[in-house]
Amino acid sequence: MFLKYLYAIFAAFKMNFLSLVVDGFFIFATLLMPLIYALIAFGILRDKGAHYGIFVAVGSGLAGLWTTLLFGSGNAITGERWSGTLELIAATPTPMWMIVFGKSLGVILQSLLSMVASYLLGWLVFGYPLGIAQPLEFFLVLFIGLLSFIAFGLMLAPLFLLNPQVQQFQNALEYPVYILCGFLFPIALLPFWTTPLSYILSPYWTARLLQAAAGGTLAWEQLVNESIYILALGGVYILIASVLFRIVLKKARVDATLGLQ
Amino acid sequence: MHQLITNLKLFWQGAALSYVALFSWLRPTTFLASMIIFPLGQILFFTLLGIFATGRDSASFYLIGNAMQITASAGIFGVTMAIGGERWAGTLMYLFGAPANRLTIFAGRATIHIFNGVVQVLMGLAWGLVLGWVSFAHTDPLALGITILIATFSTAALGLLLGCLGLVTLNIMFINNLVYFLLLLFSGANLPITALPQWMQYISWSLPLTRGIAAARFIVDGASLAEVAPLLVGEFFIGVGYLVAGYVLFRIFEIEAKRRGTLEAF
Amino acid sequence: MFCSDEFIRPPRGTIEAMSFIARYYAPSIFMRCGCDAKRRMANFLMNNAIQVTNLRRVYKSYVGVFRRKLKEVEAVKGISFEVAAGELFGILGPNGAGKTTTVKMLTTLLLPTSGTATILGHDVVRDVSALRPRIGFIFGGERGLYWRLSGMDNLKYFSSLYQIDPAVQAKRIPYLLELVGLKERANEKVEGYSRGMKQRLHIARTLLNDPEVMFLDEPSIGLDPVAARDIRRVVRDLRDEKKTILLTTHYMFEADELCKRIAVINKGEIVALDTPANLKRVVQDLSVVELEVKMFTPDALERLKGLPFVDAVTVQEREQNSLVIVQSPRGAEAVSELLAQLNGATVQKVTVREPTLEDAYVRLVEGMDETKKEGAGSK
Ligand SMILES: Nc1ncnc2c1ncn2[C@@H]1O[C@H](COP(=O)(O)OP(=O)(O)OP(=O)(O)O)[C@@H](O)[C@H]1O
Ligand SMILES: [Mg+2]
Repeated sequence: MFLKYLYAIFAAFKMNFLSLVVDGFFIFATLLMPLIYALIAFGILRDKGAHYGIFVAVGSGLAGLWTTLLFGSGNAITGERWSGTLELIAATPTPMWMIVFGKSLGVILQSLLSMVASYLLGWLVFGYPLGIAQPLEFFLVLFIGLLSFIAFGLMLAPLFLLNPQVQQFQNALEYPVYILCGFLFPIALLPFWTTPLSYILSPYWTARLLQAAAGGTLAWEQLVNESIYILALGGVYILIASVLFRIVLKKARVDATLGLQ
Repeated sequence: MHQLITNLKLFWQGAALSYVALFSWLRPTTFLASMIIFPLGQILFFTLLGIFATGRDSASFYLIGNAMQITASAGIFGVTMAIGGERWAGTLMYLFGAPANRLTIFAGRATIHIFNGVVQVLMGLAWGLVLGWVSFAHTDPLALGITILIATFSTAALGLLLGCLGLVTLNIMFINNLVYFLLLLFSGANLPITALPQWMQYISWSLPLTRGIAAARFIVDGASLAEVAPLLVGEFFIGVGYLVAGYVLFRIFEIEAKRRGTLEAF
Repeated sequence: MFCSDEFIRPPRGTIEAMSFIARYYAPSIFMRCGCDAKRRMANFLMNNAIQVTNLRRVYKSYVGVFRRKLKEVEAVKGISFEVAAGELFGILGPNGAGKTTTVKMLTTLLLPTSGTATILGHDVVRDVSALRPRIGFIFGGERGLYWRLSGMDNLKYFSSLYQIDPAVQAKRIPYLLELVGLKERANEKVEGYSRGMKQRLHIARTLLNDPEVMFLDEPSIGLDPVAARDIRRVVRDLRDEKKTILLTTHYMFEADELCKRIAVINKGEIVALDTPANLKRVVQDLSVVELEVKMFTPDALERLKGLPFVDAVTVQEREQNSLVIVQSPRGAEAVSELLAQLNGATVQKVTVREPTLEDAYVRLVEGMDETKKEGAGSK
């Protein structure tokens, strides 16, 4: 039963990944854009010292991840609507949010490549030592953090579909998340009232843990506590997303907006 | 998926910034998204990054650089979409056939984006003032205004060239975004040109915005129009250069298309 | 009170034989109880796969940019019908009649404004999750496939979303591709498929989850005669496999050839519901006179319609002339009087023939329009 859902998610993942790797915009967003961010950040933070290398590599990778999720999962439903397949997949027993989740996994896989790319950039071009001090912890956090990040992205698609006005903010949503999650500089620079916003964003915690693990300052206690928190946030996002999806699909049945004719 | 993304970028960056440019003033959400939040986001991100790296004193460097660079969102995305939209709408055939000077048509479309671009830059600078990252105490407003206008013009000219390129390439969104981000890197908005390797500096000086940003920094610090005149003249002629290149490219495409009878392919 | 789907639905197939007797008694008893589950039971016992009662749908939309006005369209005006298990039922109607709207409501994609419909005993509004895996549907046209994937990959993807066991998939997908005649081209991208091939791939897609009830909304729309014939062959095969099928079309011969019973629908209302043979009986006493006329004028049409013995007149504009089709009980005897009304115009050819289902359809749809007009005129 459970396995069947996993299988469906995997199908959505595979299908999306295969169509994304050849998409110009996504190649840009997942590979080139984080590299340019990394180049700029490496340049700006040059005087900070060599140990910032890994910080920048992780941060710009996460930034690329957010951009691809913003456009990839954000438009997942709208895309199905355009191809006329939304009605068809809505009628399958697989819940819509799972399909979008699977598609987001495809997006994420490509984004992981960008992390590796900016890592290599810092190492080869800027000559930073980019050793990961606690590799085990690093990859554990990466895994948990990505799942939670996808869950965060899941809330976008139904939101955009519910209210097209919100979608106008799609481009404008890119930087605020970079800033609030402290991808490339600490949130201590921000006014105090933004801190609660950072705290409810799981990528903030992920970035923090990744950077600590890379720098070798991650204690087990912090790892466990914050990982649980990241997963819990992810659960809440999924809950919200599934409710939003249900509202959207219900509304679509009332207003006849599932198809696009 | 590919089509979808192209369409969406087209729609949100294109429609939000281009086709409805005229109406965007009437629509509060579009205005808020593209004229206020988007500039604010970019400015905050890079200026805070700069502050983190080298302290608060460097804030005005990043602020002015990014506020100026934002003009590229109208100049690059807006203009290419205004031309590229032609292709999607399938009306390009008629355009090629039209007796009117085609570049005028395109330039006319670009004008509205120059206007938008100027407003975005002003918004960016206004945010800087509000946040206390920049002071205009010694600034000649007229000189600053002229600088913004010229920088916006030359960026839009680059946009026009890309737009013409977009008529024959499939993935204009890829080119668009790449150029936008390369400007972020090369124009000196975030990294001092002198800090770049020599070969990168050559690229920087052949792009629009580089001189405009440098001039804007001088003017905010109190330089007069005469002092930055060489930079501005350079910026202007860079713009003219791209405009001419765009026109030539367009004519070549047109002649080629007519010769081969592939107008529909556009 | 406890009332669960699982509890009330008998295992498929086993009770069917027993229910033969019960069918005559039980429904009336069950029907009287309000409980939905019991009504469903009644339906089952009556062996109806589809039961539609007073189904109605109103679309609300806003027109105008500045002064937005609410516009209401009553697309389906309270229709009722039922389809027996294993029956191929046709819905026939002109553009905008409400066919697609009806199918969308029955396939849970659209909520009815009022009325009820149950498929296999499941209510289309409430029992969505139980119903969806048991039905399949296609909407005519080229959309609804992933063009950048191959036909095979499309089927694989959808069957994964239907959570079909990979082992089952491995057998079923090749079988379905064979069934719809796409075996050779299965690994090509859908982009390169012809319309007919896409349409057949759609049919294969709906069969993935082995649905008990299928809804085919204009499956042959926009296809050339050969491709349309291929589709009909597939539909006939499905009918022979005892699938319950609801087919909509506006090609009479298609309905005539395939369907056991046909509902003719116009402007959201069912104007006739019967077997093709019985529908033809509507025009049984009539003959059809076809006149090929040059320079046919609207006045002439009015004059023809005004004749007491003329039941319906339709005109098809052609390149060289107009084809005027007149339905009349007098048949050949009417020809001279008809010609008299066409004074001046050149009549190139006159044919008298037996009525077809198409004529029945024209009469039903036109007849309704006529009464409507009269009703409106008398106000
Ligand atoms: N989403 C919608 N919003 C508003 N009106 C609609 C909508 N969909 C259909 N209608 C209207 O409802 C009526 C019935 O449409 P429907 O699509 O059900 O007809 P149909 O019988 O399928 O026609 P066709 O043969 O053209 O497919 C039409 O008048 C149509 O304009
Ligand atoms: Mg229809």
